[in-house]
Amino acid sequence: MAVDPHEVDDQADLYDLGLTSHASVDVMLALEDAFDIEFPDEVLKKSTFAYLRDGTCGRSLMAST
Amino acid sequence: MITVPGEVDGHRVRVGCDVVAIEDVQDSLAAFGDRYLRKVFTASEINDCRGSNRVHRLAARFAAKEAVIKAFAQPDMPFPWREIEVTRDGPLPLLRLSGALAERAQDQGWLNSSLSLSHADCHAMAVVLVVCGGSAGGTRDDAQA
Repeated sequence: MAVDPHEVDDQADLYDLGLTSHASVDVMLALEDAFDIEFPDEVLKKSTFAYLRDGTCGRSLMAST
Repeated sequence: MITVPGEVDGHRVRVGCDVVAIEDVQDSLAAFGDRYLRKVFTASEINDCRGSNRVHRLAARFAAKEAVIKAFAQPDMPFPWREIEVTRDGPLPLLRLSGALAERAQDQGWLNSSLSLSHADCHAMAVVLVVCGGSAGGTRDDAQA
């Protein structure tokens, strides 16, 4: 993503900012490493990785920990 | 003005495509190594991609997985990447689904598919064409549209 991460609004759609499907794999793997979790298959969908906070990703992480 | 039919001989046809930057796959391999491979690709796919042009082959297979997801036309459905597998029949790439995605394809009436892969130095791409049967899948899709 060609944007400064510090300027990304936590409600912004990351796909609108340039997140690709392949980059979402990196996001998933990095989050798994950072929080020592594993994303279950049922949350591996586009919306899971779309938002930084208060989106599906946040809820998925909460459910996985 | 004409309305272009989405059916051929009574069969609905779906198409999905995707393009992946080779550099992105290379970066993921460098950052996550085998974890990246095992999360996204089946053991058979990893084995098929050994040798020359390994990264390009992996990128083409990732593009195929994304193309298949698009062919489902349900943007927020779960997409366990390993349930979408690219196999080979000689020089021809074939598509194999398993698990929940295989069930979803059956629900949508998927009858047959054709897959094409390609790559250049910088990108890999895939196109999948799916032929669907009868009205059962169509009814379900229409209901969810």
